[in-house]
This record gives sequence, structure tokens and C-alpha cells, in this order.
Amino acid sequence: MDGSMESPKRTKTKIGRRDVLKGAGMAVAGAAALATPVSEAEAAKKAPRWVMVMDLRKCIGCRACTVACKAENDVSLGRFRTVVQEKTTGTFPNTKKGFLPIMCNHCEGNKKDKVPPCVKVCPEYPGPRKVFKTPDGGKIRYRGGATYKRPDGLVLIDSELCIGCGKCIDGCPYGVRSFNPFVKAGKKPEKMAADKCDMCKERVANGIDPSCVNTCQGRARIFGDLNDPNSEVAKLVKEHDLAKNVLLPEEGTDPHVFYIDPDNMLKDLYTKREKGKLDHYVDLIP
Amino acid sequence: MEKLNRRNFMTLAGASGAALAVGVGKSKKALAGSVKFENGGRDFSPVTGKERKAIPTACWQCVTRDSMIGYVEDGRLKKLEGHPGSIRTLGKLCAKGQAGVNQVYFPDRILHPLKRVGKRGEHKWKRISWDEALDLVASKLKPLRDAGTPELFMYQYGRHKASQAATMYDFMAAYGTKTIGNHTSVCEAAKWVGQESLWGGMYDNWDYDKTDYVVNFGSNQFETHTNHIPTSQRLIRAMIDRGVPLYTFDVRLSNTAAKSTEWIPINPGHDGLVMLAMINVIMNEGLFRKDHFKFMRVTPDYHATTDQKIAAIKKEVAKFTPAFAEKRSGVPASKIKEIARGFAKAKSACLVTYRGTVMHYHGADQERAAMLLAAITNNLDTPGGRVMGVGAGWKAPSTPAAKVHKGLHVKDGFKGEAVFPTHHVSHQVGPVIKDGFAGRPKVYWWSCYNPAFINGDNNEWASILKDESIIPFLITSTITYDESSQYADLILPDVTYLERWDWEDMVSANQIAEFYIRQPLIKPLGEARCQGDVWPDLAKRIGFELAWKDKKDFVRQSCEMTPGVKEAGGFDYMMKEGVWHDPNDKGNYGFYAKKVDVSGDGVILDKKTGVYWNWKKAGVKSEAAAKKAGYLGTKGAKKAYVAQNIEGTPLSAYAPNTKFTKSGLLDFYSDNFKDKGLPAFPTYTPTPEHEAMAKDELIMTTYKVAVHSHSRTTHCKWLTEIKHDNPGWINSKTAAERGIKDGDTIKVHNKLGAITTTAYVTEGIVPGVIAISHHFGRQHSGIYGSGKNNPINGGASSDPDAKNMTWKKHGVHPNAIIPNSSDPISGTQRWMDTVVRVAKA
Repeated sequence: MDGSMESPKRTKTKIGRRDVLKGAGMAVAGAAALATPVSEAEAAKKAPRWVMVMDLRKCIGCRACTVACKAENDVSLGRFRTVVQEKTTGTFPNTKKGFLPIMCNHCEGNKKDKVPPCVKVCPEYPGPRKVFKTPDGGKIRYRGGATYKRPDGLVLIDSELCIGCGKCIDGCPYGVRSFNPFVKAGKKPEKMAADKCDMCKERVANGIDPSCVNTCQGRARIFGDLNDPNSEVAKLVKEHDLAKNVLLPEEGTDPHVFYIDPDNMLKDLYTKREKGKLDHYVDLIP
Repeated sequence: MEKLNRRNFMTLAGASGAALAVGVGKSKKALAGSVKFENGGRDFSPVTGKERKAIPTACWQCVTRDSMIGYVEDGRLKKLEGHPGSIRTLGKLCAKGQAGVNQVYFPDRILHPLKRVGKRGEHKWKRISWDEALDLVASKLKPLRDAGTPELFMYQYGRHKASQAATMYDFMAAYGTKTIGNHTSVCEAAKWVGQESLWGGMYDNWDYDKTDYVVNFGSNQFETHTNHIPTSQRLIRAMIDRGVPLYTFDVRLSNTAAKSTEWIPINPGHDGLVMLAMINVIMNEGLFRKDHFKFMRVTPDYHATTDQKIAAIKKEVAKFTPAFAEKRSGVPASKIKEIARGFAKAKSACLVTYRGTVMHYHGADQERAAMLLAAITNNLDTPGGRVMGVGAGWKAPSTPAAKVHKGLHVKDGFKGEAVFPTHHVSHQVGPVIKDGFAGRPKVYWWSCYNPAFINGDNNEWASILKDESIIPFLITSTITYDESSQYADLILPDVTYLERWDWEDMVSANQIAEFYIRQPLIKPLGEARCQGDVWPDLAKRIGFELAWKDKKDFVRQSCEMTPGVKEAGGFDYMMKEGVWHDPNDKGNYGFYAKKVDVSGDGVILDKKTGVYWNWKKAGVKSEAAAKKAGYLGTKGAKKAYVAQNIEGTPLSAYAPNTKFTKSGLLDFYSDNFKDKGLPAFPTYTPTPEHEAMAKDELIMTTYKVAVHSHSRTTHCKWLTEIKHDNPGWINSKTAAERGIKDGDTIKVHNKLGAITTTAYVTEGIVPGVIAISHHFGRQHSGIYGSGKNNPINGGASSDPDAKNMTWKKHGVHPNAIIPNSSDPISGTQRWMDTVVRVAKA
């Protein structure tokens, strides 16, 4: 067969042997269940916590992430699952321009009940009982919904359960959700289902970086498991004290997209959503 | 090399979806998070979770030609990613590359041969078969060849490289025409001409993995560059991971300028002057390094001592003080001094230039100044410096050339237009043909090229194509209807780069050559055919045979005859892996320092120049005659160059590999230039049009954005969604002087005409300039690029996504008011010199 790629001989990575797939968080409901053999004694009921760290020093505003996401997820025109906002400040010749990649923050939710705002407003939540299988063989029970949070922290959409009401789109303080004209709401097929970043969950399930991370030239996007103290993201969050370097911390949503921002640009760069609008979430180069 | 050793993740990755059970290993902690993610190599349907078929191939959205992986699901191309095993791309791909999928499936694609039935430009076409189409082409080409006038068939290409170019040139040679045009003069020809006059070759790479300091003049490489992905990612990482400073001189706050340690605004056309002022500082403060002076020639004397050279350089740049440079360039003298000192003192440093520097009057000379700055600080072809690019050297099958093999002299512009058009004057091909002084082709075939859009004064180009009395028969190979193909007599539906075979050879960013191939990800849509498959078919119809049966065969033969690739497993290996490089290659630096054996038969030392050359190879009758005429006095002697005597040792030095006859020294003093009345030593030459500007006039510059190539991407919906309009960038003061506010409709005009756009009033551009990107204002670019479907049915499927399109603006084309005007040295189109007036409309 022409060109099938079974086993390339080289990769660019400088670090040694990688233990791929030794525990990408998998929902039982997911497509390809991973059987992950581990010793019984080591088994523990602990899920990963997938997060993204955005290193603003390294984002060059190239938009490869925006387009990679469009292709990976067949995102329709007029909608985005991630965008880069840019802003020019200062007076000539002391002018600055900065770039801010934004996406779903995969919020943990407020302190009281740990339910993200989009999930809270979903009329179909809490829905079916589900089981999350941890990489080490443990099982965690949780509730599904048209919008729900998985034990590994990913906030996901189940279009089969969606009624197309749009409450999650309005209820997200970040405005990173929209209707998908290509997907019908399962429970009300005359309406469109809600849509947003799912952190490329099928890739993640197979040990492959999300598409936006994969193509980021500067390695400004770093993906990983915050629950693993040895992961790059955990180290970065600790080293740069990123817990509060998130968008709209005052909303109490506990976002899990963190920004490395030594020059303190985040506040200047971020364009918030206007109520009821999504104009801030369109990637547009001036 | 250790760092490039085999990893076993791909073996795991290669296992199909069902077999993903992978032992964690009992010795390891099985906490949730012990997951190491791979950065690519596999992809999965987000809907079904099914693994997509992965095929290594190569991009073609721009000349960078990244090696990449294509992912196919049920016969449809879904996704593209950088090839994780590539030493060039390191698994990355830019926005344009990611949108390559759009090239295949855009609804305005042409998928069948079309013959014109109305007048040129009437958009009346008839679908014909490939048999009819190629018989028609043969009926035009065969008589020219039979009559001994093959040169009356002209072929011109925009983007042809590697095997796409090699197969075309092979056909053209076997046919007999040398009337083959390119597009380099609208790209950066001045840069290459400046370099060729010095180090004999062209294409500088910047060794970002090893550099300590970067000074960038007019290159927007974080957005777009001829080697974008390999260099750009290395630069941003060098900056953040290793603290390497980047200083960018640009008229505009590009993304590159924005991410630089500092943006230094500069008036258009003054990069060379600032470099000369930096040289002034470095020489006068004794910050230069003598290491490379032995390879430099800075006076007529080939044997000058280092001290004499130092004195000569000081004298040449004496008048270019930082204070003088400040007056003309707008760059503060203190800043010039600071950066000059930093550049000279850095352990290694890259001096970067691109269009902002060279697409000007005397652009080639400004590139010579850049080379001088690199040379006096010993940053030429040294680790971390400005290095000579290294690409893959493929062997390929070739067909003997026809007995009659000649060309029309329509490629180098008008008489006296350019002294050294070594990369030709492509923007003037149309006007020269119209003039007729060098003859006119009877058949003109263009491919991956849109002359009526991409050249200056593009409306004139359009009128030339439209006029049947100028060129009687026009053929184009294209995937879309555009400003040029609308005037063709025959449209041949080309494949996209995602449906064809090639071997590829673009320069590496780390000085280790990478061999890589492009292979089809899917079967070509409709009746689209690769030109490399058309040539052998057409040859047969005309009456000759090529040495290869189709493009795949050409690539296969090349893989089996290219050293290294062949031993690695040849074509089978390349189909499977996509990329190959020599694992023992440590990187190519310091080519000039190689010792050369001069004991060969016929090798003599030319006393005047210090060149060892082979008089027998030069075809001279006797050694005595050779010595009498001397190296420089013997025609064709540069082909017989052997070595340069460097302080008593024969070294390879800077061999004359191009049209410039020179010694093995870096000709900072150039007889070639002097003999033609050009500055012998790099200098500052003000732009005549700018000197004559009225107070209310502005300079118009053009630029590219991160998500578009010049003319081949506006039909890509994911790119045009992000950028579809091109307002004029204008400084707030300049705007205020004209009563212009942000968002106002403005008229930009000069004697060629007027264009109307909106004002983008910004602090991110120098006063006195208006900058307009040059991707938009498309007459025909389908629904996404021009807001309307093409006026012909190309046979492609409609796109259900078209109804979701949100943008109504499609921009304006600045080329309509940019004259075709050449750098008198190199013949480069001067994109950055146009004088205009701007007013509120």
C-alpha cells in the first residue's frame, strides 16, 4: 500500500523513550477502551486532570492553532473552538502588540459543588449515570448530561442529549460555545447542538497531543495532566505560580487553562464577551 | 546523532485501534498522570474515534514545503500535520499548511479540461476530453518544433520546485525550448544577486539553534517566510528558552516586530544605510573580528593585508555615521550604536534580511551591506551565524535535449533595465512580449502562476493576455479560475499538491540536508491530472519520448539513484517514511575553509587574483596562453575555478558558482559592479522617486499576513475567514494631517490609477507610509475569495459550509497602482518604493 505509515524511523524528540498511552484518560463510553495492565497493588482511583498552559511569551499570533482546530473538528464557518485575540497598545514609536489564544477553560466549577456554569445551566444535567475508568483500572462514577464534566476535568458535550436550548452558550462567562450547524440536537433534531472545544478527546484518549498543541510552533500551548506532579504542566503551574493566571478569576469558575504571563499582558489583551454576543470569539486579523 | 535516534512510539502508534493495550511496566508508578503525550503521527475521527489513515507527504502552500502527514478517512482527506520525524519541520505546520485541505475541496475548483468558445474574457467554455485537449496542444507545439522554432513556445511558472520543476525542464529540453519564465523577480531576486556577487551562491539560512543574537531587517518571519516553519519556531524558542535577543527593523509593527525584544521603526529603503552605520560603529570602535578578513576583498588589490582592509573599510563607511543614518532612516543614532555593539560582541549573531530590505531601488546593494556586516563580525557560515543554506541533492533521470534547443530573450526585462538579472525580470515578461523587440512566443503556457494578479500594474498584464494579436494561443494548468486563466484558450485542470508525487529538497534550518517526498493522499478529484503525468503523454503526441513514464516513475527512479536515499531503502522507504537524512551528518559549516589539492593536471595559480584554476578545463590552448590571458581574462574560466590562495594555503573559499566571474574572495569590492557603473563597495543610494516626493505624498509598502500566500490561498475558506480585507495601515499623525479617522474610506492614488480601501489608523507604522497587504481584491477567486462563484462551472462539488460564510468584504489589490519598476542592479520588482497620495474618499 502506497505510503501507509507503520513505523517511521525517527522523531524529533530529544527526550528518551516515551511511554505512550500508558494511561490516557478514557471514558467507558469512549470509542476504543484502553486495557491498561497495572499491578493490583498500584491501582488507585485517581483520574488525570487535563489542563492547558499557554505560554504568552511564545505565542507569535500565527493562527496555526485556529486553523488546525477547524480542520480537526470540521468546525463550520462563523464559529470557532479556539481563537487568537490580538491588541495593539502604546504610542508610536513605543508601540506594542500582543496575542492571546483563548478556548474553553474546562472549568472545575465553583468551590461549593464543583459544577462549571455551563453544566449547571444545562437542562439535561444531571443525566445518565456513567463510569470513568482510570488509567490504573479504578472506576469513578459520575453523571452525564448534554453538557457535563468528566472526572478527568474535560467539560464535554453529548449532542445526543442536547435540546439545542442555547443556555450553555449564554451561561458560559467566556463565550466559547456556539451552535454547530452540522450537528442536530439529539433530543430536538430541528435545532442545532451546542459545540465547543473538547480538547481533542479522541486524540487524548490515544496519547496524542490535541491538534492545536501539536502544531504550535513556539510550543506556546502545553497540554497535560495537572494531577501528575512530574508532568510539564504541573511543573509550569508550580514554577510560574499560575493558579491565578487564568481568565476572569473573579467568576469563581476555576478555569483550567493557565497563562504564563511574566509581562502581565493578560488583562490588556483579553477582550471579554459582551452579554448575549460572541463577537469576541471570532478570529480576525485586522 | 543521538538526539535523532529512533523512538519506539511510532511502533506503538502503528498498531491499529483495537490493539492499544500497552503495558505500563510494573516498576513504574501507575498514578493517573504518568502519561507522556506524543506530539503527532496519528489522528482520530472526533465523531467515530476511528483512527485515520496516515500518509507522509509534503506541503506546497508556500515554498517552505514542509514535510507533513496527511490523514485520510474513508477516502477523504481530513487533516494535515507536520511530520514528527522531520528535522526541518519538527512536526509543526503553519495555518496555511493546516488549511491545505481546502485546496482539494473548495467548490470553485476546475476538474475538467475546458476549451474557450467565446472571446477571451467572455467566460464561455466547452468541456472537452483530455485526449482532445492534448491533441490540441500537440497541434500547436509540433509545428513549431518541426519548423526549428521551438523557442516560440514559452512556459512560465510561479511555484515550481524540485521534481515539479525537474520534470517540466526535462520535457522542455527534450522539446527544445529555453523560453521558460519564472517569478523570482517579484519575490526577492535582489537578495540573491547581492549574495551571488559575494559568496558565489545564494540562499542564506540563519542558524537559530545556535545563535546568541539576532538582528532582523525587513523579514516578517513569524508570519511568513521562504523557510517559515523550520526557522520561525527555532527563533521564538531561542528567544524564550535561551534568552536570545531579537531586534527587528521594519516600517510596520508586524507580528515579528511585535514579538521582538524591540521593534525599531525605520523609513522605507534605509535598511542598508543603518547596516553601514553599524559597520561604521563596529570598525571605529574596534569591535570587528579579523578571522574572516583573509576571505574578503575590499579594494581593487587582491593581496591587501588585513590592516589595509581595515583601513579601507573604515574609509568607505566614514560618511555613514550613526548621526547621518538617523537623519535619513529615522532610527536614533544611540540605538544604532547599541545594536551594533551588541551584534559585534555576541559570541555568534544572525544578520537577517528579506523583502523589506531588498525590494527597493539598489536592493541588491543593501544585501551586500548585510553580508559585509556578517563578514566583519565573523558570522558567515559559522555556527550561530548567517549560513549558506543546505538542501537535499537529488539525482534524477533525464532525457537528452533536442538538437534545436533555444530561447527568446524575453525574460530579462527591457534593454538597460537591469545589469545583473541572474534571476530574470519576470514581472516584465508580459510588457516585453507586448513590445516585441525580443520576439513574441506563439504559444504561452503558464502554471501555478497568475501573472495578471501577482505582477505590478497587473491590469496591463491582463490586457496583454486578453489581446489575441499579441500571443495567439494561451494554455494554463490551474486548479481555479482566476485573473489570468479567464483569458486562456485552453484550461488544463491541474491536481493539487495533495494529489501528486514529488521529491523535495527545501533548505534545512540546522545545516543537515533532508530528503523528503510528496505522495498523493487521495486520488485526484474529477479529471485533474498532474503535469508530471501530462508531459510524457504530450511528448508522445508530439513525437518524442521521455526517460520516465509518469511523475511517480520519475520520483521512483530518483529515489533509486540518489546516494543515501537508495541505501536507506529507496522508493519503498520514502513512501513509508516520507523523510530521510544522513544520521552521521553533523551539519555543514565553514565550506570556505576546506583545503583543496591543487596538484591536478592543468591547475595553475593566477598571480593577480590568487585563484588556482584549471586551464585545460577552461578550454585554453596552452598553459602559456592561459597565463598570458589570466584567470579573469579567460572566458569561461570561472567554471575551471579550483581554489583560492588564502595566506599560502589553497582553500575552496567562495567559488564563483553563478554568473558572476570572480575570485574565491568575497568581493566587497566588486569589479563586476564597478565595470557596469554600479557602486563597487556597498553604499547608500537614495531612491530617486523618494527624493522627488512632494510633501503630501506617501510611500506605499506591501506585506503578507500569516494566513495567506500571495495569490494561491484566498479560496481556502479557513484562511480567508480569518483575513479577507486589507485596510491601509496609516500612522495616526499621518492620518490626522489628512483628516482621516480609523475606519474611514480612503482613496490611494498615483498616476497609474486609484484604489479605495478603509483606513486602519494605528501606532504600529512609521509616519509617511501606507501599508496594504497584497493578497486581496480578487476578481475571481470563487465564493470564498471573491464573494461570488466563478463565472464558469468547474465541476467541483458544492460546499454545504458556504451558507455559513460571514464575511462580505474582499479587499482591494494594491498592484493596480504599483508600476513594474526594477532595481537597476538585479531586476527585482520594487514593491516597497511606490509613491502615492492618500485622501479621505
